[in-house]
Amino acid sequence: MTRDEIKDLILEIIEDIDEDAEFDGLNADSPLRDQLDLDSMDFLDIVMELRKRYKLQIPEEEYPELATLNSCVNYLEPKLKDV
Amino acid sequence: MIHLADYQLIIIGGGLSGLAAGIRAARFGLQTLILEQHSLPGGLNSYYFRHGHLLETGLHAMTNFAQATDKRAPLNRLFRQLKLSRKRFVTREQFSSEIIFPESRLCFANDLSLLEAEVAREFPASSQAFLRLVRRMKTFDPFAPAPWRSTRTFLHEQLDDPLLENMLLLPLMVYGNSEEYDMNLAQFAIMFRALFLEGFFRPEKTIREFLDLLVGQYRNFGGALRFNVEVEEIVRDKDRVSGVRLSGGELLRAEAVLSTVGLPGTAKLSGWALDPEQYTGRMSFMETISLLPESCRLRIRSNRTILFYSMNDDWQYKRPSSLIEPSWGVICFPENFHGIAPKETFQLRITNAADYDRWRQLDTADYGAAKERCCHASAEMVGKIVGNYEQDIVYQDSFTPLTIERYTGKGAGAVYGSPVKIKDGCTPLENLYIAGTDQGYLGIVGSMLSGVTIINQHLLR
Repeated sequence: MTRDEIKDLILEIIEDIDEDAEFDGLNADSPLRDQLDLDSMDFLDIVMELRKRYKLQIPEEEYPELATLNSCVNYLEPKLKDV
Repeated sequence: MIHLADYQLIIIGGGLSGLAAGIRAARFGLQTLILEQHSLPGGLNSYYFRHGHLLETGLHAMTNFAQATDKRAPLNRLFRQLKLSRKRFVTREQFSSEIIFPESRLCFANDLSLLEAEVAREFPASSQAFLRLVRRMKTFDPFAPAPWRSTRTFLHEQLDDPLLENMLLLPLMVYGNSEEYDMNLAQFAIMFRALFLEGFFRPEKTIREFLDLLVGQYRNFGGALRFNVEVEEIVRDKDRVSGVRLSGGELLRAEAVLSTVGLPGTAKLSGWALDPEQYTGRMSFMETISLLPESCRLRIRSNRTILFYSMNDDWQYKRPSSLIEPSWGVICFPENFHGIAPKETFQLRITNAADYDRWRQLDTADYGAAKERCCHASAEMVGKIVGNYEQDIVYQDSFTPLTIERYTGKGAGAVYGSPVKIKDGCTPLENLYIAGTDQGYLGIVGSMLSGVTIINQHLLR
């Protein structure tokens, strides 16, 4: 997956979790949780979707890597390079 | 992947916590089976048919009302977790409710300013203290680990007005306190938010459609559900469980088991040594549903949604020393929600505290007569508040602590379960978890969040 594809994937997963997610003006370097008003339970769903779709196991101590859209892309790029 | 077990997760109980847990587990691919002993789902919040009417067993109202746009509200978080559309879920808000004591009355609705104004009018000296209490409750984190703390002491420090303290406590205790006399402050904060900060609503239709929605979503994600099956044993393998055995002998193997049948029930099924005395709640209730003709509305005072009443200012939340205690309780008009069309009849539901042991001791022959006597005593008392309605009753049905125990498996008919809760849902057996009433969250929204939380914490990591 390219960086842009990973970005789209994350946004698509968030849209799937929250029917009202609003991406206009989203800052790729600021925390997703604050901007989208998500909580830790929603956050777990991003992790669970990645596991369900790509069999990716993300250990709990690495959840902070998924804080912003750009950090998600950086973290997932090597893991999804063969997808 | 080959699984030696028949299922990755078996959930005992198809009530609201079991269904919510099942949806979460199935959504993320766990092979899940829910086992329900009855022919219908819902547990405490189910329904039955009598006299051509669908009657709901538990539901007076749902608490925790929130507009769909408030993303952080428990109701909306719950819908996201279950991947249900909150926008398509039509809610009907309450008219208003009232707390009625001999010396004072307080109204409240889904807008907190009404209760604030009422307290200012009835208790001017405590008005500022009440606003401070509201602010405290808005920021209080009831889920932070903390030792038990007395709500009675806390309220006395905050308000220093015994009547106001009792009036605020009655609805919060009767709708969700498993202890007598006092309440854990964290539980008080949960209930304060659920009733006063957020408020009452109903689903557009009945609990049946709501349960259908949940069962549909669960099956949609591939979950399996069996009705009319009784679990006889949770099968142990040293410090773990390996599955369940049904009455009739069928053995179902599972990698994990989630029990929603309460602590005493779970302990009994799994052979977990636990003193049932300590974990069986003492608060149970008798509830009577009366169907009244619409014309009766003109003769009685039925403009509120729920009335919480006490005939004594020095009220105590405790098990009575008689079959029922009619001098305090709840009067609910389940049709009094905005947008519910009137029918030919309307319901009036009364809830009074009841003594399980006294009901238990009755002979079968005396049981029916005792029920009738209690219905009448309760209607007479309620008549003093809303006006007499007994002569107009088209149909009446009631349930006692024994009915609750028989249909829901709640020991001693204790609807709010054990006075001691197990917040993390863990048991001495490694892969056996509990959810629902005895995990600590109460009410429809609460018990569903309980199921969701336990799955998130223990099975989706």
